[in-house]
Amino acid sequence: MKAVSTSHCFVLATALCVLLSAGGSRPLAAQATQAPSNAPSAPLPRLPGGRPDFQGLWLKSAGGFQGLFIGSLDGTNLAAGGARGGGRGGRGGPPPTRYEYTPEAEAERMDRLRRGYEDPEARCHLPGVPRALDQPGGLYPIQIIQDEKYVSLLHEAMHDVRIIPTDNSRHPKNYWAWDGDSRGRWEGDTFVVDVSNFNGRTWLDMAGNFVDENEHVVERFTLTDADTILYEATITDPTVFVKPVEMRFTLKRVPAEQQILEYSCLEGERSLQHYTEEDGGKKLRTK
Amino acid sequence: MNIRSLRLAFCSIAIAGVMTALALTGDAQTQKLFTPARLSDGKTPDFRGIWQVRDTAYVNIEGHPAEKGIAAARSIIVDTPDGKIPYKPQSLAQRQENYKNRATADPSLKCYQAGVPRATYLPTPLQILQSPGNFAIVYQDNHAFRVFHPDTRPHFDSADWWMGDTRYRWEGDTLVADVVALTDQLWLDQAGNFHSTEIHIVERYRMTGADTIEYEARIEDPVVYSKPWTLRTVLYRIKVPAARIIEDECLEDANGVRHHISPDDPKNLLKSDYSRWKKPAQK
Repeated sequence: MKAVSTSHCFVLATALCVLLSAGGSRPLAAQATQAPSNAPSAPLPRLPGGRPDFQGLWLKSAGGFQGLFIGSLDGTNLAAGGARGGGRGGRGGPPPTRYEYTPEAEAERMDRLRRGYEDPEARCHLPGVPRALDQPGGLYPIQIIQDEKYVSLLHEAMHDVRIIPTDNSRHPKNYWAWDGDSRGRWEGDTFVVDVSNFNGRTWLDMAGNFVDENEHVVERFTLTDADTILYEATITDPTVFVKPVEMRFTLKRVPAEQQILEYSCLEGERSLQHYTEEDGGKKLRTK
Repeated sequence: MNIRSLRLAFCSIAIAGVMTALALTGDAQTQKLFTPARLSDGKTPDFRGIWQVRDTAYVNIEGHPAEKGIAAARSIIVDTPDGKIPYKPQSLAQRQENYKNRATADPSLKCYQAGVPRATYLPTPLQILQSPGNFAIVYQDNHAFRVFHPDTRPHFDSADWWMGDTRYRWEGDTLVADVVALTDQLWLDQAGNFHSTEIHIVERYRMTGADTIEYEARIEDPVVYSKPWTLRTVLYRIKVPAARIIEDECLEDANGVRHHISPDDPKNLLKSDYSRWKKPAQK
């Protein structure tokens, strides 16, 4: 699917930016070893009130693969000397997410798989939840700023923002959004977020997996050590899935000398229209 | 009324006058000396909250007459004699051209992030996120955000950004931010006021009361302006209980039509691109 390669163009450009911010002259291998060490015995960072402190800059990690994925469609990771990995299902990555669709939804999903160029994220729409976090491994950092009232996720990808209240307050009425509405609460040291009020237009990935406006997500953020967040999401959608979809992966802390950069996904993904029909594009369609 | 009582009256008036003057000075002093609350470290001034300007400078920072649905406003430029931007002649001609074409040429119509300082005085709220060592502003408009980095590290200015690169420090209780690396595709308002990539902004955020932030931006750009100039406005705290900024998506669809997607209209959200998914009964 050419639409996928277009998205990867974004991916590549932003990955290069991350590299630049880290000091462009440093070799990639050296950068990979710069990751802070995981000392399991070190106490978890905590806010003055005692809650775990999630603050910092984080990158989704694909299992044991640390560092950047600058890749091509076949999964080759140029940043790791051509090894495969980094993307979903990469070597050492988290287990692939399983989607069990209703028959009607399965047909729709297969149709969307053929219409990959209609992926709303390829048109710069907000990715929704959990896709905001489930970006390709090692690419777009997430800055977390936290106080007693909010856990705020600033995503480099799509300059998506989620300011999540920690007071377990109620979802609003008459509000439908790409990212839905998030309300958080603490269960011990785990931050649990209930996400509802989706607008029903979200794709879960570039492969046509989707949800409608009945989507409901419960996310769990747990610091497993000072430099690792375990992220778990359970997606239910009774009109699309016959059973809840479970997702889990880790976020790793990014060295302090790196910083989040601006991601400008601009309007008008013109090239999607210039692909021919057989490439999944719309070239034959006249205005 | 004899001379004596006249003199007494005069004295009273004089004393009253002096006292009024003192009182005014006192007011000014109190305002200057407002002490913001502190973050959990007991040290950093607490600017957290949802804020919004109340003026209509977003239409034209030089001031503008009333238009349909928009009240008139005075210039927010405070340090030029006429409240106008000190353009170089060539640049002024460009601004006039921009103004003529503003109905279609304003980059904000193309859903780009608004830039600095424009994002500050948009007619939509912003939220300041803060914790000891962290400062970020999330603008409702186009879900743009700026992470303020301490000025202990140099600007990352080898690219041009829509929201620039921001480095900050505290001067007492005032946050002073240095902003560079803005693209020249930005406008400062709807009237076509503009800058080049050489723009350099020094922003000052200062709480003047529990619910007001005075915002000042000193702007220099030797390519476009003959001298630096300063704008000043006030951000007011949104005190609606449980106020939140809402999701704002402004995007161009595949046919080149731009939409501001409203989260309070499900029909608007569901009717366009993905209507082929026929949902079973609504819940």
